Amino acid sequence: MSKNEDRELIKRAQSGDAGAFEALANQYYETMFKMAYKFCGNRPDAEDITQESCIRLARGLHSFKGDSAFTSWLYRLVINTGKDWYKSNNRHPKSDDGLETVQVSAKGEDQLYAKQVIAAVYELPEGERDALLLVMSEGLSHKEAGQILGCKESTISWRIHEARKKLGALFEKEQKYG
Amino acid sequence: MDEAKLKKILGDINAPAPDENAKKSAVNLAVAEFKTVENQRKNAPQGISLFGRLTSKTTQTRRDPMQQKSKQRLMYGGMATAMAVVLIVGVTAQQTMIKNNEFVAQSMLATTNVDAAATAMESLADVNEAAPQEMEREEALPSAAPAPLPTPMDAPVASLTVTEQAAQVGNYATTARAKIATPGFAGAGADASRMMMAESMPYAPPPGVVVPLPEPINPYYQEEGRDKFQDFKPSPVKLVADEPVSTFSIDVDTASYSLVRRELNNGIIPNPDAVRIEELVNYFDYNYALPETRETPFKPTVTVTNSPWSKDKKLVHIGIKGFDIQTDQKPHSNLVFLVDVSGSMDSPDKLPLVKSSLKMLLDTLQPDDTVALTVYAGSAGTVLEPTKVSDKQTILNAIDNLNAGGSTAGAAGIEEAYRLAEKHFDKEGVNRVIVATDGDFNVGVSSDTDLKTIIEKKRESGIFLSVLGFGLGNLNDSLMQTLAQNGNGTAAYIDTINEARKVLVEEASSTLFPIAKDVKIQVEFNPELVQEYCLIGYETRALNREDFNNDKIDAGDIGAGHTVTAIYEITPAGATPSIDPSRYAEKKEAAQPKSEFAGEIGFLKMRYKLPKENESKLITTPISADANAAPNSDVTWATAVAGFGQILKGDTHIGNFTYDDVIKMANEAKGTDEFGQRAEFINMVRNAKASAPH
Repeated sequence: MSKNEDRELIKRAQSGDAGAFEALANQYYETMFKMAYKFCGNRPDAEDITQESCIRLARGLHSFKGDSAFTSWLYRLVINTGKDWYKSNNRHPKSDDGLETVQVSAKGEDQLYAKQVIAAVYELPEGERDALLLVMSEGLSHKEAGQILGCKESTISWRIHEARKKLGALFEKEQKYG
Repeated sequence: MDEAKLKKILGDINAPAPDENAKKSAVNLAVAEFKTVENQRKNAPQGISLFGRLTSKTTQTRRDPMQQKSKQRLMYGGMATAMAVVLIVGVTAQQTMIKNNEFVAQSMLATTNVDAAATAMESLADVNEAAPQEMEREEALPSAAPAPLPTPMDAPVASLTVTEQAAQVGNYATTARAKIATPGFAGAGADASRMMMAESMPYAPPPGVVVPLPEPINPYYQEEGRDKFQDFKPSPVKLVADEPVSTFSIDVDTASYSLVRRELNNGIIPNPDAVRIEELVNYFDYNYALPETRETPFKPTVTVTNSPWSKDKKLVHIGIKGFDIQTDQKPHSNLVFLVDVSGSMDSPDKLPLVKSSLKMLLDTLQPDDTVALTVYAGSAGTVLEPTKVSDKQTILNAIDNLNAGGSTAGAAGIEEAYRLAEKHFDKEGVNRVIVATDGDFNVGVSSDTDLKTIIEKKRESGIFLSVLGFGLGNLNDSLMQTLAQNGNGTAAYIDTINEARKVLVEEASSTLFPIAKDVKIQVEFNPELVQEYCLIGYETRALNREDFNNDKIDAGDIGAGHTVTAIYEITPAGATPSIDPSRYAEKKEAAQPKSEFAGEIGFLKMRYKLPKENESKLITTPISADANAAPNSDVTWATAVAGFGQILKGDTHIGNFTYDDVIKMANEAKGTDEFGQRAEFINMVRNAKASAPH
């Protein structure tokens, strides 16, 4: 489906067309699920968060003004839902049981290394982790990430710099001598 | 760290494809929500003033405190006109604050779903910005929250309407889902499945009714180590001189046995707290004597044997069998299934197994029994209003359309289920709520004690409760026990389709029809013949001596055809005691046995209530010292199982008794073993032996 058709769908849903909303939800479920999965690293939590996000989408879609990409808007919705979800369930995405299940495509030793790095990423402070995931994993620009996380472009750059410094301290040494 | 490398690793996080069922249920929920919101929006006045504009908080960057501050500064600092605006905003904001506070208080008191609480919190936090949206928000909230929980005491009318509203939303979601869900089996497939069912099950479904075959369970990812068990210590040996009376409540649950079997089949020695010996022993059916008349629902059979694990000790077996109900005399049943459809139930050994189990149970019911179906996940809702079993296809469709997703608000579901059961309460029949869950109630009232309070309140309405536990890894066994023990109920753990058949088909009458409730046992030992005693198992069921005569104290229930076994280990007078005599206690002369009670080891008393009565009745019998005629195979079997339980728990009383001894004893006592359950037990002991640390 093209961007224009999506816009059309969003407009129709915003004007109260339940069928259009259903199509939209079906269309973007996967995107939202993948975002949620990256955010929490395991399937059950991701499914719960996505379900919650869909409901929030139903409540809040009319407030989407079209001044940013719909996906960026969705990112913010999913990330905020995830934060609230963890807050109200009194849990944290970095809990051990979650990370064991993160799927990566790398194999063998690389896979182990990748999993360790990802585990370390989940241990980072919230702001740094989110910035890192949006920019490095989703390939967004610092500006877009700033819009989603509600902070300045320079803040994103700073957070990523900090995060890389921390990860570097953890992993570079081992790589050099190992 | 190298940016390219990091980018590669993080870009490589491979989010799996979403689950179709989860997607369907999420989309359906969202569409239902969308329609509700739209309806409210249509009725809400739009664009009346600057403040009536519909804006959403999600577009505002409320997470950045610096921005919020700057906004406040803008608002409060400024010219006189701005001041006027600020005043209005201030007043509205204050009202909002009060309203929202009330709402928060309400939602804290009652059970609501996560989202309601979260939204309420947010409204509080956003109060400065939120004033303009308030009109919309106020109306949207009540439906977004799945209704403040109706407590029967306050405002019954208001709460009823709200619950109905919630129920409607639930219905809505299911009808929407039904459109998408493909119908189950049809045509030729149905015939095949019917034939297979007829062969494999003692109760074949009547022709014309399609029962999808239970599917085999494939390997899949499982959570580990989050099961919760109530911890307890084995009961200590007690001196008859100090404490001659032992009191406990009977327990016909079997959940522990299936749990232990499942762990052992996976090569894992189960958590000692998961092993409740009385539940292992009571898993099996024994041929104890039945009462002569139906006036008394059961009769105790007492046997005394030598203890196989301690030379000088003896075992006292107390066996009880309740009379069974003939099929044509079965009372009418009013059942409410309460199914947990939260995200955690989405694994092959949970929701699909629940569905198959419920369908099996359905086949054992009479055509004019009624069945209702409620579900709980993020919110609780009724999927199927009470329906006659003769309209089987409707019930089957409702069961088939269940999907998992969302978090678990168990308490709201329980309230809803009891409400339905009360609505169609049948004075003459059996009214029962059957909960199918992995026990993970993580939303709303979730502490064991709070749920206990709810259940205790409901118990008085005369509705019975059965808890069926499913899955492992996230199982909250302790909560299940709390529910079953406090709600006139039983708990069973279902890990395979075979277990479902045992609990729901073979034992349907005992699972469904109680013949006595609050059954308590009290044994007083004769100090002249017995020095010490120790009750094997029943630790979690121990009662105080005075509780025995107190009808207010809840205890276990016996269903039609249930058997219950309790085993005491006693040290007869003259044998080497486990406890040294006290140095300072007054030395009593070794009195000659009084002729009156010469032959009695002790005296057994049982109190019980008939299912619809509130006054207890009493059965008493002396335990004679020469009740040790030839121990029959049932007694030997029960002893072997009890011995196994004690080894598994690491109990120290058991001495040198080993798994091999258990296997030997069990093999001797296996009997006819119609359903292969005893053979399975022996196999399980072998597994335990193989997995045991050496």
